[in-house]
Amino acid sequence: MSALPRPSTIFLAAITTLVAVLLYSPLFVPIVSSFFIISHGNVDWSSPTLSTYVALAGNHDILAALRTTLIVGVCTVVLSVISGTLLALYYHGRRSGRSILQFIVFLPFLMPPIISGLALLIFFREIGLERSLLTVVIGHTVFVLAIVYRTVLMRLQSMSRTLVEASYDLGASGWQTFWRIILPNLSSAMVGGAILAFALSFDETMITILVTGTQSTLPVRLWAMMRLGFSPDINALVALILMFTVLLCVLAARFLIPKQMATERN
Amino acid sequence: MSQNTDLLTLRSVSKSYGTVPVLHDIDLSIRDGEFLTVLGPSGSGKTTVLRLIGGLEPLSSGEIQLDGQDISRMPINRRPFNTVFQDYALFPHMTVSGNVGYGLSVRHLKRKEIARRVGEALELVQLGRFAERFPAQLSGGQRQRVALARALICQPRLILLDEPLAALDLELRRQMQEFLKSIQREIKTTFLFVTHDQEEAIGMADRICVMQAGHIRQLGTPHELYYKPNCEFVARFFGENNLVAGRLGPVQDGQRPIETALGRLVCSISDQPHLKAAPDGANAFAAFRPEALRLADANDGDNRFSGSIAELAFAGSSTVATIMAGADDAAQRLRLRMPSRIDGSALKSGETVSLCFAPHEGHLVLA
Ligand SMILES: Nc1ncnc2c1ncn2[C@@H]1O[C@H](COP(=O)(O)OP(=O)(O)OP(=O)(O)O)[C@@H](O)[C@H]1O
Ligand SMILES: [Mg+2]
Repeated sequence: MSALPRPSTIFLAAITTLVAVLLYSPLFVPIVSSFFIISHGNVDWSSPTLSTYVALAGNHDILAALRTTLIVGVCTVVLSVISGTLLALYYHGRRSGRSILQFIVFLPFLMPPIISGLALLIFFREIGLERSLLTVVIGHTVFVLAIVYRTVLMRLQSMSRTLVEASYDLGASGWQTFWRIILPNLSSAMVGGAILAFALSFDETMITILVTGTQSTLPVRLWAMMRLGFSPDINALVALILMFTVLLCVLAARFLIPKQMATERN
Repeated sequence: MSQNTDLLTLRSVSKSYGTVPVLHDIDLSIRDGEFLTVLGPSGSGKTTVLRLIGGLEPLSSGEIQLDGQDISRMPINRRPFNTVFQDYALFPHMTVSGNVGYGLSVRHLKRKEIARRVGEALELVQLGRFAERFPAQLSGGQRQRVALARALICQPRLILLDEPLAALDLELRRQMQEFLKSIQREIKTTFLFVTHDQEEAIGMADRICVMQAGHIRQLGTPHELYYKPNCEFVARFFGENNLVAGRLGPVQDGQRPIETALGRLVCSISDQPHLKAAPDGANAFAAFRPEALRLADANDGDNRFSGSIAELAFAGSSTVATIMAGADDAAQRLRLRMPSRIDGSALKSGETVSLCFAPHEGHLVLA
């Protein structure tokens, strides 16, 4: 740090601040403005209010979309955590086939969502699956699987192999070893992965638009609302989504930092 | 303690990883109640022997017998052995008592019974106060003792320890050596202890098994290994030694001469029939310990030669001299160790002296 001469340190600090402000301040605009009335493009700063939130709560379309989002999120989490964990367990320690599998698992995550969405859409049409919440859940699971798989696999790899050997050595069966040694050591990684999966599913728009039937999730609803014009409850909705997503990410980070560090602190 | 019956026997056990052979035709008998140490340089196959016995790896060929029964195919969780792993392998999500009781709880013992025996085991390793701590909250020595208690509680026939003290500092290591030894005397269980530290092996073992490159080179008490090594490797590996190459002469009641660059040296061959049977003229080494070599006086006739003192090193209780002996073109580098004296050593650096060792303090090793 202090290896740099003083003027350039100041310069760097100024640039960093500028970039941070430019990049992140737009995120705070909807949060702040969701508490004020906007009329004819002018914000009335004099009277903070919760009226946008009240309006939002009375909007049945949005409440229905929220319910749909939660259902899809929960189903996606359950499916992706179970299959991601099984995949990680199966491929841990196995050389052959692992890189191919990883490639396939990561593909939908890395590809532009519109491509993944279209591919899924064509696939569902080919096998004759009606577009519905089921197809949305499948789409989301395919999308977030990579995150869960990766999180669980990393925990497995950091787990000492001798733990499992010690369990067998002490007389435990394979089943006992799984439930009493492996799973407890993976659980926080699974919870962390689940939260990330939920956050991703909560925000997912492009794939959802392509594979959903008549029901829309919150981001899709938002998208539709935007096309009709800017209304104050959008501010409130964006603010809520933003805060919720940040909360999820903070939670996920708590579960994913190594246990060791957590215990060393106290 | 019935130290004379065999508990476990390895019969021509071989092991390869893929196409790479790691153990070659190992034969080994472990006696009931003994403290057997496996000693050898890194990569000699010590851990592999332990893993084969514990059931963590399958044999490539051969047989392992427990009380005369073949157990080569018995699954690891049925074998009445427990392992203390080098990295301890304590379960991080369980408390000390959870760890120690694990072997009993997977066998569905009653809670009360488990609690009682965990208490006893923790008392034995002097960790009663730490029952509710997690492994991350213990010191290295304490973790070591938890691992030991966890292995002991299942009352195994044999405890396997793979360099359990390697991660500890010197002082703690000494304490743990004594501690392990005293526990072994108390519970009278057979210990198979792997190490590459020969002082540790000498201090703890009833018998030592020396391994090199996947072979067992010698199995015997520390005293036997030190004074009657059966091959050049053991003679050089185990303790400091002087080896002088030469050719064997004819046997003369319990002794045998060897013609070397230092002249004719006579060494004891008692209780070593293979040395008696070796043909005349066979290549061999005369071997004598630094503490057996001394300054010759007028009465000494046997094994006498002269040398010059190249270096003199004070090492506390003893002083070690490095000596170049024999003719210049075939000079042998020898070591001599003598007790230190407060008024200085009788030897002077650069001096030429007359040296000897008693025939019964020298031995022969076939080349
Ligand atoms: N899983 C494995 N796959 C292939 N080769 C192995 C494997 N485990 C051990 N080896 C090889 O087997 C040989 C013996 O290994 P082993 O671990 O038994 O040695 P060691 O005597 O315990 O050594 P150290 O003192 O370093 O622990 C070594 O050459 C090692 O490279
Ligand atoms: Mg080893």
